[in-house]
Amino acid sequence: MLWLGLYFPDLPLEIFAAQPPAKQSLAVIGHGREGAQVVRCNAPARARGVRPGQRLQTALSLDGTLQARTRDRRREQDALQGLALWALQFSSHISFEPSLLLLEIGASLRLFGGLDPLLARVRRELPGLEYRACHGVAPVPMAAALLARERPARQVLAMVDLREALADIPVARLTRNERVRGLVRVIGLHTVGECLALPRAELARRAGPGLLQLLDRLQGKVPDPRTPWQPPARFGQTIELQAEIRHHTALVFPARRLLLAACGFLRGRGVATQRLLWSLQHREDLPDTPFQQGLLAPSRDPEHLLALFRERIERVTLAAPVTGMGLEIPDCQPFAEATQTLFAAGPRQDSGLLERLGSRLGDRQVRGLGMCADHRPEYSVDLTPPGQGRATHIPPGQLPAWLLPEPSPLDAASGVPHHGGPLELQEGPRRIESGWWDGVDVARDYYRAVSRAGERLWVFRDRRSGEWFLHGLFD
Amino acid sequence: MAHEAIDRLIADGSLWRGPALAQPEGRFEASGWPALDECIGGGWPTGAVCELFSRRHQGLPLLLPLLARLSRGERWLAWVGPPYLPFAPALAAAGVDLQRVLLVQEVDAAQSLWAAEQLLRSPACAVVLAWPARLQPAAIRRLQLAAEQGGGTGMLFRPLRTLERSSHAALRLKVTAIPIGLDVSVLKCRGSRGGHCSLAL
Repeated sequence: MLWLGLYFPDLPLEIFAAQPPAKQSLAVIGHGREGAQVVRCNAPARARGVRPGQRLQTALSLDGTLQARTRDRRREQDALQGLALWALQFSSHISFEPSLLLLEIGASLRLFGGLDPLLARVRRELPGLEYRACHGVAPVPMAAALLARERPARQVLAMVDLREALADIPVARLTRNERVRGLVRVIGLHTVGECLALPRAELARRAGPGLLQLLDRLQGKVPDPRTPWQPPARFGQTIELQAEIRHHTALVFPARRLLLAACGFLRGRGVATQRLLWSLQHREDLPDTPFQQGLLAPSRDPEHLLALFRERIERVTLAAPVTGMGLEIPDCQPFAEATQTLFAAGPRQDSGLLERLGSRLGDRQVRGLGMCADHRPEYSVDLTPPGQGRATHIPPGQLPAWLLPEPSPLDAASGVPHHGGPLELQEGPRRIESGWWDGVDVARDYYRAVSRAGERLWVFRDRRSGEWFLHGLFD
Repeated sequence: MAHEAIDRLIADGSLWRGPALAQPEGRFEASGWPALDECIGGGWPTGAVCELFSRRHQGLPLLLPLLARLSRGERWLAWVGPPYLPFAPALAAAGVDLQRVLLVQEVDAAQSLWAAEQLLRSPACAVVLAWPARLQPAAIRRLQLAAEQGGGTGMLFRPLRTLERSSHAALRLKVTAIPIGLDVSVLKCRGSRGGHCSLAL
């Protein structure tokens, strides 16, 4: 087994932080024995001298503009669960510690082609999730978590290397248990290395069973079962925005976070989706703005979906500032990665093209051209979904390239139609009579005519009224 | 200094370098009209944009043989913002497989331009026909770059009154309706001296 610890040191702060980062100084306050204390603070606050561990009053005296938020562990846990949805692509065995995810990745290494490609993907996607993370890798879960917290980026693959990697970590970091921490101060052992250097009996005598058990767990000498998290059957996530968004473009950032999480979830499940249900939330009294994003083919590529989102969101009317954003995936399809690479390899393929057009312009704007078996020209052209147009029949005679949407009446003088002067009838008549069955019956004689300007026109004479109409253009 | 000025003119397309300097390796698709092919250096250039100037959107019949041949391939024949309804029976009669026709319609000028660029840039498009009302030289340059990337041909049908002195288009034609068909004069053609021909339709 190999474990990846992902520690999110600023999680308590990041759940309150606006994106993009604001200039406002911000601190998260916890309530300890000494009263209100700074737990985390952002860069503007640090620049004014605010530090974690400070009492709130001290911090406020240093920075009068400091915005203090009470630590919200429930929201931290929610954020961590959101991150776990994303992390499902790396492991089906995920467990939680405060501000930390533990993933069993031994089983996924082959899928990713090794540890480095797996970690590369983690690093590539983390910035889009907008949480800072530190990682540690070890064959023991507790060690992976400890390395992530205390020695970021340290990777230990074999048990034999574990002891050395942990040696200089202070023993006090092994636990939050105050009784054990107090004990450590008394016994004069500071680092994990110092403890492990002692004979076991001596260590047991000085450190007591509590600390000994922790050290055993750290080295993998006793079982340390971690209950795997049971992920939900369907993906659904909502992000509360810290600053109201008024413009479409700014919605891309929360959308990216949601899509990264969603695609991580889909990858973990071995599926993909063709339908995304978005919702934009506004202030309490206003209803949400829901909208759908449909795809031609199942996908789980966050960049592809984000590109489509950019097009889709342009067509959503923002009736009010957006305070939150949700994404749900109602249904999934099985997905074979191989199919995707096969498509991508073809030089003529661009499966995203129609989606991009449809998302930005609307599906009614992107059509195929087909025919209906109707002799009346205006009913013979059929707009279809792209790629589905078929020719049903080919009428005889020379046909105009263009059809006017409706016949346009022409002036006539002594039986000769005019269009910028009298028209010269060149070819015809071709008689069209049909439509009696649906009440729009026609009886027309069509001609090819030439105008004085040299334009070749398709005109007809209504045989009942004798009136002339322009119906098409040859050039 | 003089070099810089000339380079700038070349870069923004104000200065057109004659056939001697133009890239002769340009590929083309035969137009299906031998007389026209002779005037335009062998056929319609691919990976490039052509401009067809006329009084009122004329010139579509010139493209029908090309559209018919390309429709047998796997790529789209895209029509962005056509001025009227393409008469499907006429296209079918000319041998165009309607399955490959892609219409982008009921969009405004900005959307048309965006769509034309997307389509041209895509390798899934063989030809993109567009009827832009107004077009800045920079926009033509963008379309030309997109076509170079996608490998297809952009056909811009433009009103005669918008005929500027120069553009980045690889081929520029003036199309005039005549009683027997269409009259074509070559205003600019990479790698050819140009000319004039009348085509009976």
